[in-house]
Amino acid sequence: MSHSTTVAEIRWVRADLRARRAQGLLTVLAVAGIVTALITAATLLEDGTNPWRGLFVRGNGAHVWIHTKDAPDPAALRSLDGVTDVAGPYRSAPATLAQGGKKTPVALQEMAAVLPAVGRPLVREGRWLDPGSPDGVVVERSFARATGLRPGGAFTVIGLNGATHSLNVVGLAESGDQGFYPEWAPGLAWTLEGTLDQVEPALGRSESVTGLRLADPDDTSLIVQRTITKLAGQVQRVSTWREVQASMELDNRLLGVLLGLFGVAGLVAAALAIANATGGRVLSQQRDIATLKSLGFTRRQVVRMLLAEHGTLGLAGIALGVLCGRLITVYALAETVVVPLSSAPLLAIAFGTVLVVLVAIWLPAWRGGRTPPIPAAPVAPPRGHLSRMARLALLVRLPPALVLGARDAFTRRLPALLTTFGLAIPMMMITIGLGCWATLDDFERHPEQVGQAAALTVRPGSLTSGVANTALADPDVVAAYPGTEADALVPGQTRTVRTRAIGTITDPYPFTVVEGRSYHERGEAVAGQGLLDLLNVRIGDRTRLTIGGTPLIVRIVGRVLEPEQDGEVLSVPLDNLAPKDALPPRFYGLVLRQGADPAAVRARLQAQSLEVSQVVNPADRLSVIRVIIIALVGVLALLGLGNLLTASALGLRDHALDLAVLKAMGLTPRQVMATLVTGTGLLAVIGVGAGAVAGALVSSGLIDLQGAASGIGAGIGRSPAPATLLLAVLTVVGAALLVALIPARRAARARIPVTPR
Amino acid sequence: MTTATGPSALHTVNLVKIYQTGGLPVHAVRGIDLLVEPGEFVAIMGPSGSGKSTLVHMLGGLDTRTSGEIWVDGKRADTLNESAWAILRRQKIGFVFQFFNLVDNMTVADNVELPALLGGAPAKHARERRQYLLGELGLTDKADAAPAQLSGGEQQRVALARALANQPQVLLADEPTGNLDSRNTRDVLRLIGEVHRQGQTIVMVTHDARVAGLADRVVTLLDGQIVDDGLMAPVRRRPKSGAGDVVELHG
Repeated sequence: MSHSTTVAEIRWVRADLRARRAQGLLTVLAVAGIVTALITAATLLEDGTNPWRGLFVRGNGAHVWIHTKDAPDPAALRSLDGVTDVAGPYRSAPATLAQGGKKTPVALQEMAAVLPAVGRPLVREGRWLDPGSPDGVVVERSFARATGLRPGGAFTVIGLNGATHSLNVVGLAESGDQGFYPEWAPGLAWTLEGTLDQVEPALGRSESVTGLRLADPDDTSLIVQRTITKLAGQVQRVSTWREVQASMELDNRLLGVLLGLFGVAGLVAAALAIANATGGRVLSQQRDIATLKSLGFTRRQVVRMLLAEHGTLGLAGIALGVLCGRLITVYALAETVVVPLSSAPLLAIAFGTVLVVLVAIWLPAWRGGRTPPIPAAPVAPPRGHLSRMARLALLVRLPPALVLGARDAFTRRLPALLTTFGLAIPMMMITIGLGCWATLDDFERHPEQVGQAAALTVRPGSLTSGVANTALADPDVVAAYPGTEADALVPGQTRTVRTRAIGTITDPYPFTVVEGRSYHERGEAVAGQGLLDLLNVRIGDRTRLTIGGTPLIVRIVGRVLEPEQDGEVLSVPLDNLAPKDALPPRFYGLVLRQGADPAAVRARLQAQSLEVSQVVNPADRLSVIRVIIIALVGVLALLGLGNLLTASALGLRDHALDLAVLKAMGLTPRQVMATLVTGTGLLAVIGVGAGAVAGALVSSGLIDLQGAASGIGAGIGRSPAPATLLLAVLTVVGAALLVALIPARRAARARIPVTPR
Repeated sequence: MTTATGPSALHTVNLVKIYQTGGLPVHAVRGIDLLVEPGEFVAIMGPSGSGKSTLVHMLGGLDTRTSGEIWVDGKRADTLNESAWAILRRQKIGFVFQFFNLVDNMTVADNVELPALLGGAPAKHARERRQYLLGELGLTDKADAAPAQLSGGEQQRVALARALANQPQVLLADEPTGNLDSRNTRDVLRLIGEVHRQGQTIVMVTHDARVAGLADRVVTLLDGQIVDDGLMAPVRRRPKSGAGDVVELHG
């Protein structure tokens, strides 16, 4: 291929792009929208499920924290090979936080008023420590949430010597250097050096905390070894970034599956929209392509030009989408998202969309290349196939515009199919999105139906007896189930599984049993999907475990919805455990009256010196899904719009000549308009209807499938409410008809010259 | 296929075209033997449906033949595949259609330069050739216009310039005046006549006897067969300089 042949191709591509700026722009925007949504969703997912990464990057965290009796020499630690910087050493002292009658252990750690370069806490609310108010403390946010502390509130601590100090919370901060409370206890609060000296004057009762920032995080264990050697015998405890990360990570399998599903469906919808737009464009320029071929363009050249033209649009959209995705994470989501998406998923999204775009334009480009080179050949659409039906319709006196429009809708079968599917898939995804929404709503409104009958958990704490009675005295508490949790060893498994003994045979815990039944007698157990998968057992199977050295043989009689521990939990009645393991109960699960506010009950019980924690609803963790659903519905709507515009443009082109004839036959402009709108609208109605039905049919099954994959287990899926679905369908169809109406109106009013195309 | 004076411009042997429409074979062209010498101007006449356009399309490789042979400039062409035909067209054949078929999105200048660029001419040469042709056809000031802004006659003159951009051996014209009024018809015919006087081989389909009168020779088709083949005037041989010479026009 010579240079000037390329020049010829480029000129044609440029001229064609210039001639249809608006259409090209829509393609670019649709692709950019999909890519932006994917990147935003992936960023939210990554950030939501692995908050450590963002906190660590923003706070320039230390990879290793060493707890020693005395302050080590920072210079000696910095000189270690692989250590780039040192944070601290900071003095840290244990104390007790007193709130009403409740006492919580807390670690007070000194920190300067000027934030350090390494291991910086990130202030989220209020402000950082200030020498002007020496009684101020900054509390780690997850600890503050668990204890109900707010900036401006009192922070009363009791030192080990028994003296009480009244301090104030000035701010809440997050840190990537310590895991979230209560998984990572005790809670953390930062104070100025002088304040700490007051609370704990004795140096001997405090420890020293030093952070090491490493050049290569993979060297962590090696450097920990070296540090322990170097500090010979002084090291009391070491925590590494791996432990912090692991403690912060959420179960992201469910989210991952959902995001993947939406992403793939979005890509398929985008592919259909692009294929339809490209195909429509190629059809409408058949005469030009034929002319080019008569001038001596080969089939391969035509395919290449079409690929270059439409590929450029697609790639521009991807580039724009990547840029927008980045900008959104940097500016719009600056408060929620800590750092932009890491490069691996970003590259996967970019290359995935490039591949999809290229495949989507390949087919129409290939068809374009096969255009016969005779430009005079008629490019009228093939004959309609509804003649018999049309005659029938006319017999029953349907308006002629409807009949003609219905006939027009199917004259070109492939574009009709592409348009229908191009609308059906976004609609199906929207329906599935609504199903996810309904499922989340259900999680929140009826947690007892997803395996969370107990909204609160009471631990006896300082009280030794009467916990259940104290709790039951509250008007909103309906039942209290004694329980205990233990890690059981499974033969043949290198890991342990969580065994929860809760309820008794006479008073079983209200599990959400979705298969089989609940336990009725000793030796029976129920399990989550995750456990059944892990042990590769089925309902009815016997399994043998060891708890605290005591063997336990149980028969699994039912599957329950299990939102905790990826569903890898075995639940047995308390009577099943040996008394030494079972008594006294470690906690009580409290079932509340329908409609009671768990937070209010919790506050009341806390006031009675009970250690109460609120069960985390899976929907709270999955709230990011709602953002994803909204974003994707927006993009899917854009794709549908692109599809409709292509369909109506094609309809107009095919019928430009017919329109003149129809007018000559005596159809009024309004009837002509109705004909055109029917042609596009019928496809829209079929596509939207089919999509909604398909979505409603598969959504609860699909969500169950995701539930099973995530260990919670099938049985959580809900279909969207019929009213919601109907409203969505009507909105989409209405919008579609409106979109079809505008060009149809213009065409019906325009004078159409009877000239060959 | 050669004659005493060198290869003929176009030659067909027992050329047949059968369309299959709805299962029924339609014999559009039934065994045409046609020899066009270099520099000859042949008009092909006949009523609608007599196979004129099909014949010209086959001569230019736009349509495939069912059987028979096609020779272009002494080389067999009917056995070529689609791509080879395309390359042959850009080098040796220029087309003018009834409906002009300019590429609407491109300017007049780009339309005329396209075949030259496609033929491998450097952009500078293509531009010079376009400037020369548009100048000769009196369209210099329309170079940057879009085809839709031109009158029918002007569009057909641009199409003629485009067909001549690569100095083709053969100019194939399918009803070039079929869509023009009488004044524009006269203008376009005058230009075609001038091109012919410069030695351009032309095969033109028309159903207008006055238009055909301009040709050296009129071939009449009926139902896909030659029913008459008559010389209008002695065949003029092309000048000795040979094929591919710059066609000089004096408009």
